[in-house]
Amino acid sequence: MPVYYEWTSAKKSRSKHNCPSFEVTSYPLKANVITMKEHSSNSIIDQINKWSSGFEEVDPLLRFEQMNLEEDIGALEVEKIEGVNYSKAWSTRRVSILNKYTTGEKLTIVSSYLPGGEKALIRQVSNLNEKVKHRLEQLDDFDESSVRKTMGLSQQEFVTNINMLNDEIKKAWESEQRVKAFKIGIQCSKLLSDISVMQFYPSKFILITDILDTFGNLVFDRLREKSFGLNNNKTVHNIDSKTVPESAKETCQNWMYKMASIRELLPRLYMEMALLKCCVFTNREEIKPAITRLTTMIRGIGNPLVAAYLRIYLCHTASKLLGNESEAFFYNNLKEFLHEYQQIFQTPIRKKYEMQLLTQDKYLNLYVPAVDWLLFGTLNSNKCKNSLFDELLQQCEQMDNNELFLCCLVSAFDSMCVIKRAPKILDMIHSHADKMVMINEVLASLGEHLCKADNYRQNASESLIQTWWKIASGMKSTNHFLQVLEPWLQFACTHLSTQHVNVILRGTIRYMIKCGKPADEFSGNFQFVIKRMLKSIPDVEELFLMDAFMPLVELVQTSNARTLMAKAVLSIFFSRYTSVQIEDPIVISSLMRLCCILHDSINAVTVEDESKICGELINKFIQAVSYQDDLERQLNFYVECRSSFIKLDAVLITLVHAVNALSVRANTARGKWLQRACAAYCFVTVPSLHCTLTKTQLYLLSGQVALLNNCIGQAEANFKALIGLIPDIPDYILEDGQKKPTHVKVGGILSDFLSTLLLLPDNVDGNCKAYILSGFIKTMERIHWKRTEPLYYTTLLHTLDLLCELTQETYAHHIESVLSNDKLYGSDSEFIDVLEKYSTNICQELLIVLKALGDNKETKKQYNLALELFWRVVRRGDLKERPMLSLAANLWMLSQKIQDSNNKIAKAIMSALQKDNNPHVRQLLQKLDEGVKNT
Amino acid sequence: MSTNLTIILKRASKVYHEGETIAGVAVVESNSEVRHEGLSLTMEGMVNLQLSTKNVGIFEAFSNSIKPINLLNTSIELAPPGKIPPGVTEIPFEMPLRARQATSPGYPGLLETYHGVFVNIMYNLKCNMKRSFLNKPLYASCQFFVQYRQQDPAPLKPVRCEINPATIRASSTSGGGSRAPMPQFQIYAEINSTVCALDKPLTGKIRVDECSVPIRSIELQLVRVETCGCAEGYSKDATEIQNIQIGDGDVCRARDIPLYMVLPRLFTCPTTTTVNFKIEFELNIAVIFEDDYLVTENFPILLLRSW
Repeated sequence: MPVYYEWTSAKKSRSKHNCPSFEVTSYPLKANVITMKEHSSNSIIDQINKWSSGFEEVDPLLRFEQMNLEEDIGALEVEKIEGVNYSKAWSTRRVSILNKYTTGEKLTIVSSYLPGGEKALIRQVSNLNEKVKHRLEQLDDFDESSVRKTMGLSQQEFVTNINMLNDEIKKAWESEQRVKAFKIGIQCSKLLSDISVMQFYPSKFILITDILDTFGNLVFDRLREKSFGLNNNKTVHNIDSKTVPESAKETCQNWMYKMASIRELLPRLYMEMALLKCCVFTNREEIKPAITRLTTMIRGIGNPLVAAYLRIYLCHTASKLLGNESEAFFYNNLKEFLHEYQQIFQTPIRKKYEMQLLTQDKYLNLYVPAVDWLLFGTLNSNKCKNSLFDELLQQCEQMDNNELFLCCLVSAFDSMCVIKRAPKILDMIHSHADKMVMINEVLASLGEHLCKADNYRQNASESLIQTWWKIASGMKSTNHFLQVLEPWLQFACTHLSTQHVNVILRGTIRYMIKCGKPADEFSGNFQFVIKRMLKSIPDVEELFLMDAFMPLVELVQTSNARTLMAKAVLSIFFSRYTSVQIEDPIVISSLMRLCCILHDSINAVTVEDESKICGELINKFIQAVSYQDDLERQLNFYVECRSSFIKLDAVLITLVHAVNALSVRANTARGKWLQRACAAYCFVTVPSLHCTLTKTQLYLLSGQVALLNNCIGQAEANFKALIGLIPDIPDYILEDGQKKPTHVKVGGILSDFLSTLLLLPDNVDGNCKAYILSGFIKTMERIHWKRTEPLYYTTLLHTLDLLCELTQETYAHHIESVLSNDKLYGSDSEFIDVLEKYSTNICQELLIVLKALGDNKETKKQYNLALELFWRVVRRGDLKERPMLSLAANLWMLSQKIQDSNNKIAKAIMSALQKDNNPHVRQLLQKLDEGVKNT
Repeated sequence: MSTNLTIILKRASKVYHEGETIAGVAVVESNSEVRHEGLSLTMEGMVNLQLSTKNVGIFEAFSNSIKPINLLNTSIELAPPGKIPPGVTEIPFEMPLRARQATSPGYPGLLETYHGVFVNIMYNLKCNMKRSFLNKPLYASCQFFVQYRQQDPAPLKPVRCEINPATIRASSTSGGGSRAPMPQFQIYAEINSTVCALDKPLTGKIRVDECSVPIRSIELQLVRVETCGCAEGYSKDATEIQNIQIGDGDVCRARDIPLYMVLPRLFTCPTTTTVNFKIEFELNIAVIFEDDYLVTENFPILLLRSW
């Protein structure tokens, strides 16, 4: 095989081209770009959930919750009760109480069934005798009679202990120690008389009533088993006492007598409620009178908090047993509660909670779940909610200290009822505003109701807002003020004009300044307010037109709080903003300000995701801003953006793209300088990026745009920079934390680059022809790429393609107004010679690659490369020349040697050649045949 | 080779009225054949009286414990001497519950079962299996309860009272002269009837209209008064049966708080008066103030077995 073949490119005659053609105004292969806004921030997760839900296991925590629910329903509500599902309503409340009422205080538990506790003191043990004594004492400690007090428990430890007691009850029951189970039940309910850590009381109530329910179920299940055998599907609702055998009735009676003789009132009441459902074994008719009696007996509980929760449990038990029939009891208990309402506000009680450092509103908040539950049942029973509401409201008006009840009333009734009476309620609040404690809660829930109003009458809502403002501006606690502001601002946004909202915003600023504390202390609440407003205002853009909005947003001073605020505002703004472009200069400058805050927050320690989000938000802003035909201003804007957002690569990339787009938009007539400016902008901006690959891409793009605009110098500069970067491109880049190979992208960029070079006019001042290309080829030689790398030899093949195309008399395509090399040189022989020389070198290099592939036993690659090269020689080379002909023949032989001729590509090439009636091709074919025969 | 003897009554509650028949089975459980000299069943009822040491001297109380009064004593033969096969053998029986013929004046007839401190009225079934010389006889016993038949309800006898510093005697306040002055209070209490049916709860209400100090607790105390008499003298003792809290903490003023007490079984019976002993009941309402100051009001009550 001769080692050296001189390359000669074939000149194609264009005249042969006889396909029908017509002129077009836009490039036919260009992708159609439509700018539109997507409102699908939530969709992707939903989509994923939708598809994966069938396969997915439920979250384990959720599953426990569901299991609990099923257990509850399974045990009590197999029989479908019409109307409201009380057990479900209860379990949601149960969870929310446990979440809401927590404490960091130390708790105390008194029980004889828990290990540890005060008695188990660790002593210095000196001699053996003492040791034995000590051990014996420890053994004694497990004696039932010793009641231990365990103090200093954290909330978590308390819960663990309660759960232990729950298990203990079950264990005792299973080991036939029923009386022990009963005693544990009593001790647990006694814990509910301890109000030493009040803010935990509601949660404690839930935990302990769970134990009582367990106990009640144990007794019930045993009686059921005794009556109907092991496996029966009897429930509370379908047991007929006539079918219960006498022995079971006797057992039931015994439990009742035992319960009735409990000395203390509170445990007796709780235990009676827990055992109430066992009445179905003796006489179902006793249940209702018993509930009525219990309702009045609760009056004996002096502490209103304990009593209120006792009433919840009574109503809960009643609802489990009687379903909808229990609703009258809810109402009765509510009335009882209202009778004792003033008890809550008495001095001894106040002293108690003040001793625990509770404020009055916190204390009153403890009652909310209780009143809420009572109202829930009451509301369900009453068909005419309006009159009930009027009646209760009337009662409320006549009461002293009505805030607690009013608050619960407002939150319990549905919006329809509340909205109708909003002015009256507001007046009530207004008249007591100075000494009302839970004013924030009342106002907030009233506001929430109003937000649900579809269309409130205009002038009425104006007067409502005025009254509200009078109350709100007088509020002492800033947190409360913000809490109230949140829903009311939404109401104002949806029902009143921008001016009104602006007035409120100004008032808010005044309030915040007057309150004397920096706004940062309330930044959380503050954010809620702003977010709510952004979400509720009909037209988001209008917000920025209010003069009070931006000062309000910037009221917080610390950079952290500001950043959060800016981020919140921007993300909501963009998710709600409906049109594609932002034109209003005020809006633009406000958004610019916010973006700057966001950008300035980024520093060396910012996590990657964080800056990614910031980048996305700022990008959205940049893409949306438009100055229509004022291209100069647009460019100025981009310049300003570059200086403001220099830290974010993602933003710079967007800017380069935006400027390139702008550059294309500028028409040549008066935009020549603008195009130059744009090109300069890009050329200056790209180097400050970090990622080499992105830089290469952007250089290429900017160069192409410059070329398109006939800014040859700029284009050349870009391409030169690009070539300079090629050696620095890493093999792998980090993308989303994963290492990804770059060669596919690099290959794409390079072939794109090479095809662009066809259009680029040569630098005639340069000392060599085909200045950029030769630079490229030299760089290629300089980089020590692995020869067997596909990227390497495909690039070589592409370069070969380009070189052949460059030798043509007229090029395949042109850019209007750009003078390409075909026109520039007019197939000057000196130019052609240079190109042919390069071709020869490249061809030579490719042959070396072929050999290297063969050495490496990579036959498949070798085969493909041989065919590729063969095809190029046949199509692009001039077969008149001997070296070309023999090169072609040798390549074919090589390919045939490696693999049989049945290969599809080889076959296709061959059939194409056979159709060709060029004499040189015929000659080649003949030679090939001979070659095949020789072997 | 163990043999078990038990008595099982047909009626789960084990409560019988005079004139009824007590039916049940004696169960012999053994893994081998049992040879016996006769199986008999005895039904007996007794009143045990005891003098308390408070009223008479210890020595007298010890020596003079009064002879038990026999109310009932009948026996029947369940099986003649013979053999009982291995396994579980049930021997049914029926015995009419009838009082012994009155032999002496003042003999009370059948009384209700009652467990007290100084007076106990108990009824037992005893099964006795006599066995051969080498084997110990086997015993089994089973308590059953006697109740009077329900009478027609007696007319209600409600009582009302007001408790205030003026109405109470100094002795009922548990302190001496050194105590702080009595607080100002006005309490109203009402018991629906002092004649109560044993099966029905005792009900009433109490209302604290006014009280200058916080209340700690309001309690309802059921007390039995047992009187035992004999030739040498008699003793009368009041002891607590049960104490039930009806108000916990400083209750709301001017609110009716229900009084409600289920009368415990066995420890109560209809108020009884015989020649030898008396069983009476009383109710105390106690209001305890925060500083342990205690005010009580006493009501004698009459318990009846009625509807």
